[in-house]
Amino acid sequence: MKSKKVLSRRMTFILMLAPALILFIVFNTIPLITGTMYSFTNYKGYGSFEFVGLRNYIDLFSDTRVWNSYLFTFKYAIVGTLLVNVISLVLAMGLNSKIKMKNTLRGVYFLPNVLGGLVVGYIFSFIFTYIIPAVGSALNIGFLENSILASEEYAWIGVLVVGVWQSVAMNTIIYISGLQTIPGDIYEAGMIDGVTPWQKFRHLTLPMLMPFVTTNLVLSTKNMLMVFDQIMALTKGGPAQSTESISYLIYKNGMDGGQFGFQSANAVMFFVVIVAISIFQMVITNKKEEQL
Amino acid sequence: MSDKMTGVANTVEAVTGNIPSKKSRISKSKVSSAIITAFLIIGCFTILFPLYMTIIIAFKSPAEMTNDIGGALSFPQSFSFDNFAEAIRVTDFWHSLANSVIITGASIVLSIIIHSMAGYAIGRNMKRKKSFRLIYFYIVSGMFVPFAILMMPLVKQTAILGLDNMFGVIILYTVFYMPMNVMLYSGYMKNIPLAMEEAADIDGASAWRTYWTIIFPMMKPMHATVAVLTALGTWNDVMTPLVIMSGSENTTLPLAQLNFQTQFGTNYNLAFASYLLALLPIVILYLICQKQIIGGVANGAVKG
Amino acid sequence: MRKGKVAISLVAAAILTSTLLSGCSADSSQQGVTTVTMLQYKPEAVKAFEKIEKLFNDTHDDIQLKIESPNEAMTVLKTRLIREDYPDIVGIGGDMNYSNFLDADLFEDISDIEIIDTINPAYSKMEKELELIPKEGVYALPYAANAAGILYNKDMFEQNGWVIPETWSEFISLCDKIKASGTNPLYLGYKDTWTCLAPWNALAVGLAPSDVCSNVNAGKTTFAAEYPEVAEKIKVLLDYAEPNPYAYSYNDACTAFARGQSAMYPIGSYAVPQILSVNPDMNIDSFTFPANENEEDNVLNSGIDLHFSVMKNTKNKEAVYEVLRFLFKDETVQIYLDEQGGIPCKQGDFELSKFLNGMEKYIREGRMSDYQDHHYPSEMSVDAMIQTYLMDKSDNAAELFLERFDKEWVRYNRDLIARVQKYEEEHK
Repeated sequence: MKSKKVLSRRMTFILMLAPALILFIVFNTIPLITGTMYSFTNYKGYGSFEFVGLRNYIDLFSDTRVWNSYLFTFKYAIVGTLLVNVISLVLAMGLNSKIKMKNTLRGVYFLPNVLGGLVVGYIFSFIFTYIIPAVGSALNIGFLENSILASEEYAWIGVLVVGVWQSVAMNTIIYISGLQTIPGDIYEAGMIDGVTPWQKFRHLTLPMLMPFVTTNLVLSTKNMLMVFDQIMALTKGGPAQSTESISYLIYKNGMDGGQFGFQSANAVMFFVVIVAISIFQMVITNKKEEQL
Repeated sequence: MSDKMTGVANTVEAVTGNIPSKKSRISKSKVSSAIITAFLIIGCFTILFPLYMTIIIAFKSPAEMTNDIGGALSFPQSFSFDNFAEAIRVTDFWHSLANSVIITGASIVLSIIIHSMAGYAIGRNMKRKKSFRLIYFYIVSGMFVPFAILMMPLVKQTAILGLDNMFGVIILYTVFYMPMNVMLYSGYMKNIPLAMEEAADIDGASAWRTYWTIIFPMMKPMHATVAVLTALGTWNDVMTPLVIMSGSENTTLPLAQLNFQTQFGTNYNLAFASYLLALLPIVILYLICQKQIIGGVANGAVKG
Repeated sequence: MRKGKVAISLVAAAILTSTLLSGCSADSSQQGVTTVTMLQYKPEAVKAFEKIEKLFNDTHDDIQLKIESPNEAMTVLKTRLIREDYPDIVGIGGDMNYSNFLDADLFEDISDIEIIDTINPAYSKMEKELELIPKEGVYALPYAANAAGILYNKDMFEQNGWVIPETWSEFISLCDKIKASGTNPLYLGYKDTWTCLAPWNALAVGLAPSDVCSNVNAGKTTFAAEYPEVAEKIKVLLDYAEPNPYAYSYNDACTAFARGQSAMYPIGSYAVPQILSVNPDMNIDSFTFPANENEEDNVLNSGIDLHFSVMKNTKNKEAVYEVLRFLFKDETVQIYLDEQGGIPCKQGDFELSKFLNGMEKYIREGRMSDYQDHHYPSEMSVDAMIQTYLMDKSDNAAELFLERFDKEWVRYNRDLIARVQKYEEEHK
């Protein structure tokens, strides 16, 4: 009797996993394998093609544009992930505390994520091109007087500002739902003893929130590494090719241009690199979770 | 869990002896809430200012577009809804809206059902069974597959399977957001104690029944979160419907909005009006969902 | 349990509705009627094509013409190729995409259609030059072209008595004069890198041979040998534009020019609608970019904006030809021109858009040459390379740029170069 039940419990778990797994294999893994196959060809996306062996992969290493796109993307992702997580954690705690106009404020902070690329591109280009330089020259702040998006050195910061501005919403929602899993009575216990806010955060909130920190770190790292929309909207890779991200290059040259095979190789390499990084990241944060 | 409890106990011990009066605590919390509110409102300006620009541009005519700051920030000559009416006409708004709602809605429902089951199965078995851990990493790693590499094979595959239509787009979204959602659900399981299921187990309920009657409702805040995040990803997406259902007559809102952009010219006024219209449904969805996110578990069964 | 059921029935309902909706578009073709589908890539021309479609269907009982004008048509076309869901006719631009499609052997030889003789030879020549490897036959019928050079503010020119320049030094002295009067001579929208190609192409057609790319592929010359003057002159333009042009987009530049913030704007005729949307009353005209010291050496930069090709596996070649003949009737061409502007590729007495007045002489004489970037592979991003070069303030910037041009060209075109050189060997 008992063994039958255990078996059926395990069967239930397997059955629950099955639909997801089947869909995932059919619509993610199989096309990924097909796509990987193209990375060994000179396929343009249509017409006939030939197998070229490892040529695309060898080319990747000698292509300075690809290297620069990796440099840009990682610089962007590291700074962006940190900023997004700090800001959205602070925001989530603020929006989760007992304040007035909570619902309105929550609604407003959600907006940046739903504004389409065309709107974001136009509005922020205008702000960077016209408004900030005008403020800069009115206040005589030299480095603000020229549009940041026109600067080979600093354009990435302009893209980053918009990227962070847009992705904070999503991570805030996850942090808020995480904060909800913390039972209220733990706080009440802390309140009686007049713990400082920082102590409360460090010893009560953060440990309970750790699974969500892990999730958010992975998600925001992913979003930042795959940066594409903001680049299309703001710089299209310029000025002087200084803001070409990996996804931008894969899309632009693989889809618009005739480099489908080569960019498939780039995509495969990118995939391998990110998976390696995120496994590393998960191992680290899982250890942290256990320590706390 | 026991570790965490000791941590809490230590903190509590460390700070006892400094018990402020109840009155000062209340006024202190009032002050801090005012400060937090103030900061949050200031932060809002970084959002409201761009939004203000969007709104006034949506009301202007192309001839009112300037490249000086005064002109760009000034009110339109008249607040007429002509742009909105025109945008509704050009995008075949109600039809496109219906398609977008169906696609986003069905993707959300499918995601909640399929991903929560998978997340539950993985979350409950990951610690003990290597096979589930492997499946977890296998699915989550799907998050990092650049869409560009999947696109062409998917176009071919969906066409072969007869899925080059809205249904195909819905299935694909369910797959695209699976890594994120499975990760969220299985992460959430860490905070739902086993005790509930064990109690039901003793009562003789099947695991399947236990899941739907006890666990699924308890994941309500996460369902709401998943709904919002999936909607965010699908609502504005152009690429998937463009490449998957480009053969069909149906169009989604973002596809129809491409009408405002041609190679050598963009009608920002109509486009912005249309974007504002498209913004409303998803903000409403968010407002509904956030009620579910807040106060689900905290008031529910999970306590300790 | 109840929740699960509700959710499941919701999904079922959604799926049902979506299949029903997509099922609505089933075709109901009658007996004996051949359907010809055409996909054209200019969504802005949808009105013209709706008119043409209606006119055709009203006059033909046995052929049903269906013209699609989707947004993002190139992506749509590529996905349809993958799906093997081919239209009969495609209307696309005469650019690198066409060259690649042709090279992939997607198009039918249509050299037996009599319309060919009515096409302006300058455009037929351009079509030939778009073949990556010289190919027997005719694969595209050029329909409409656009032109690029300088757009100018006619009222401003008349008020100040400025004269249209015909040589490079006249152009420079005019720019000096305008600058001295306190107006920006030019406005550049170099934030959008593709706009860098407008003056680049307009200069290059006058200063380099039109077949420079295929000559490089054949190993007969290098860009370092052909482009130094183009590179030098495009940099001179910066002195006469607004400061820091890399901050301003195409749209900003159109707005600025429309608002009278510059006297001239080096861009193509395609920008006119966007400019007029900001300032509907503006008096715009154009002239050929005076790249040379001799007026006779100047060439108008004009390229094929729309041409029609027949897909290889079309089943109804006869019906398709009938459609093509209809499209090239003088009345049909005029319908298109009235709606869309542009330059007809068919010879004849068509009414030209008034914005092209200053270029008319070149058009009539056929002194035209294609946009050189129609021969650049888009993944090489020559536009971004030009922007990089313009931002580079070092003394040897031009040398570095041209060196990079040659190097990258070989890298992005090596398969093609190998094939071209093989072809040259075989056809010596």
